[in-house]
Amino acid sequence: MSASALRIENLTLAYPSGGGWINALEDVTFEIGQGRALGLVGESGSGKSTTALAVMGLLAPEARIAGGRILFAGQSLLELSEDKRRELRGDRISVVFQDPFTSLNPALRVGRQIAEPLVLHKAMGDSDAAAEVRRLLAEVGIARPDEVARAYPHQLSGGMKQRALIATALACSPELLVLDEPTTALDVTIEAQILDLLEGLRRDRGLSMLYITHNLGVVARICDDVCVLYAGRVVESGVAAEVLHNPRHPYTKGLLASLPKMAERQERLAPIPGRFPDLASPPSGCIFHPRCHFCVERCAAEPQVLSGGVHQVRCWRADELAGVDWPAPAPTPASTTVPGEAGGRPLVEVGGLAKRFQLGGLFDAIHIDRSGGFPFKYDPPVVRAVDGVSLEVAPGEVLGLVGESGCGKSTLGRMLVGLIEPSEGTVRIAGEEAGQLTGRALRAHRRIAQIIFQNPDSSLNPRKTVGEIVARPLALFDLARGGAIAAKVVELLELVRLPAGYAGRYPHQLSGGEKQRVGIARALATSPRFIVCDEAVSALDVSVQAYVLNVLADLRDRLDVAYLFISHDLSVIAHIADRVAVMYRGAIVEEGPVARVLSPPYHPYTEALLSAIPEVGRDPAKERIRLRGDGVEQGAIKGCRFQHRCPRRIGPICDTVTPPVVAVTKLHRIACHIPASAL
Amino acid sequence: MAAKPRSLTTGGAILALVVLAALFGPMLAPFPYDQMDIMARLSAPDATHWLGTDEFGRDVLSRMLYGARLSLLMGLGATFVSLALGVPLGLAAGYHGGRIDEAIMRTIDVVISVPPILMGLLLLSLSPPNVWKTALAVGIIYVPILARLTRSVTLEIAREEFVLAARARGERLWYILGAEILPNAWPPIIVEAALRVTFAIMLGAALSFLGLGVQPPSSDWGLMIAEARPFIDTAPWVALAPGAVLCITVIAVNLVGDGLREILDPRLRRGRG
Repeated sequence: MSASALRIENLTLAYPSGGGWINALEDVTFEIGQGRALGLVGESGSGKSTTALAVMGLLAPEARIAGGRILFAGQSLLELSEDKRRELRGDRISVVFQDPFTSLNPALRVGRQIAEPLVLHKAMGDSDAAAEVRRLLAEVGIARPDEVARAYPHQLSGGMKQRALIATALACSPELLVLDEPTTALDVTIEAQILDLLEGLRRDRGLSMLYITHNLGVVARICDDVCVLYAGRVVESGVAAEVLHNPRHPYTKGLLASLPKMAERQERLAPIPGRFPDLASPPSGCIFHPRCHFCVERCAAEPQVLSGGVHQVRCWRADELAGVDWPAPAPTPASTTVPGEAGGRPLVEVGGLAKRFQLGGLFDAIHIDRSGGFPFKYDPPVVRAVDGVSLEVAPGEVLGLVGESGCGKSTLGRMLVGLIEPSEGTVRIAGEEAGQLTGRALRAHRRIAQIIFQNPDSSLNPRKTVGEIVARPLALFDLARGGAIAAKVVELLELVRLPAGYAGRYPHQLSGGEKQRVGIARALATSPRFIVCDEAVSALDVSVQAYVLNVLADLRDRLDVAYLFISHDLSVIAHIADRVAVMYRGAIVEEGPVARVLSPPYHPYTEALLSAIPEVGRDPAKERIRLRGDGVEQGAIKGCRFQHRCPRRIGPICDTVTPPVVAVTKLHRIACHIPASAL
Repeated sequence: MAAKPRSLTTGGAILALVVLAALFGPMLAPFPYDQMDIMARLSAPDATHWLGTDEFGRDVLSRMLYGARLSLLMGLGATFVSLALGVPLGLAAGYHGGRIDEAIMRTIDVVISVPPILMGLLLLSLSPPNVWKTALAVGIIYVPILARLTRSVTLEIAREEFVLAARARGERLWYILGAEILPNAWPPIIVEAALRVTFAIMLGAALSFLGLGVQPPSSDWGLMIAEARPFIDTAPWVALAPGAVLCITVIAVNLVGDGLREILDPRLRRGRG
């Protein structure tokens, strides 16, 4: 390997915690070759962002570097003065952070923010800097650079903001670009565009990249090398293709097994059991041994060292375990009824459901009317969040609802459980229409349909114990009394595989996955027949996500609950759903059984979504379909709602005529002008 | 339950002393609160008058002890009124939004647009003044501040998913407001309320000074400070003594507030794993 762009040697970094120090990073070593991209992978708490901050010299003041070196272009960064490091930062090393929505200063024009490093490091004048900003914006693929340079951040979409931030990072032609989860906050079609852009920039500029992500698919797509972190230790590193296809450390094997795969549908995923170690008192021996499936006595006794040549691994059993996969649990025996095909009445029937939200205040709603008569007209601007959706869910069936942010999928889910009042249409659950019920009957009806939310930190009341949270629905619906309540709480916790002792804990004492399982237990407490899962696993790490998905799948089989499973992640939907509905701008554009929707004929939008997903094991030669534009268009919908971004537009008919819903097979429907045979 | 936070025990102890002074002050005081001594006007602290005398030669220590009762009544009573009215209004406005929010908040804007003293004069001019009415008036004057604060906290919490979950299972309004939202809204409200105690004592004093509260020669810390102002450069002890106890009381109230917050929030509780 030629000279390295960045070399980290035995870096150990500690934070103070309750009187002692905890090692956030321990003996971290890796190297990024000149012009290569290294993916630093790990789950939350693994220390990957801390590594990035250490490279940038942006660590919190209380952090202490206990040992090791960071070498950038031959210089030892940790020995430089703060002034020298500031000169490097933004000039020769620059960074792009995760959240484009908060990384730009909302009070300054975008152009000025991009010009800042040019003025600071390159001492450019205003007009030179402005010209350079335009060139940079064009380089990162922004079609109208002048307009964007003059815009304020709130006027740009998420994808445009991230492009602008990349332009800022590129401004001084850095040698090393540190990217900290740069696409995590973006929709999958936008993520695909940004990854294309980064790939192109790397090729054209010969940039070296430190790419931090939790997403192994992104690593497979964009990185040459990969370094897997667990609890602040490098457990495996090597060439990306080699590590991802032939993982040697049990943790890497577990991570890969936790991923839902599009190609083959598994009964259950293979999660990594247990929870992240407490770094204040790390386990003896191998840091991963308490959660490792292949753990033997010796693992707890001796600490592991990184060994091997190019492909390094921190596990003494690696050779012995070569080729052995992380095991998946067997599914619990399923109920005998096949969902959806048993005939009879659907559990959930939604007809022509619509929701319009009024925008702006009183003054936005009053228009001057010059057509004669009264000169003012009250016509508030509205956004059609959900625009005429009809669907059905059978008892015990999982309907996946997929779509990007802002497509109306959460609004739809919330209307089904009565959290949002529909503007039009009907929701009928178990034969009853909530809108027609009042008082006691309405409350009783609420029992049937429940909801699980996305954010484990916000879905539990921090002032209540787990026991109180799960017991409340029981008391509310009078499902248990006195001592029976406690027994029922334990039973519910067992259903989501939490020990009974958790009843006395408060939410802040639980991990994200555990909180999410309490949320599921609370929803189950009313013995519902239908649960809306609103991005229920999206905020979780993959190994935890796999565990929660398995819990949900078991519950479906054991209790015959039906789900509306809302997600932006098509691979999760492909794993758990029986049928899928693809939503775009408030309406369903394709609907059918999973296998049908995920194979041709496709709606052009579904096809683009599928093509955009970065996945481990995808054939890189496969044609990539990219959508134009990167925002949800505003304004009234005329013709096909997907026309602005559709790669397969056939002509003016798309602009003017609402596409017909074509039944490709009995259960598979697509809304498109292109004949099904050509899709 | 873990050990009580130290702030609560310290603050509680100081506050208890102040309350004891209020209850037994008249027995402890070396002089009657209204006994004048023309020969010893504005005399500096000495062995007879530990904290000196005011412009009428009245003993500052005695007046301070007598004044504790009315001052506490004014500060705590008015704050209680503000909490009792402001918190429910803020909860209703923040949770319901829309027209109810507009109606409550615009009314509050009207109330807040009138300067506090003028508002007090307006409220107290309706009937002959007494201390209770003044406390009530001061409480009402500070309702908008607590209502606004409660509303802004409520707006945030009402969007939390656990509140949506409660709505999804059809909880009644009072349960959502009282059991889901309010316990999480307390921390900033408690801090603000502790601060309001001081403001209430001072506003009460201002109203008393205008003849609409504590009637001279009765004593009250706020009134003592107000009356001592002209002599602040020649006889600073007259203002300093009531100022200091007022300050200590406020610190105690704040400490108790902090301690309560710690007890109410399981995340801040110590010694429980």
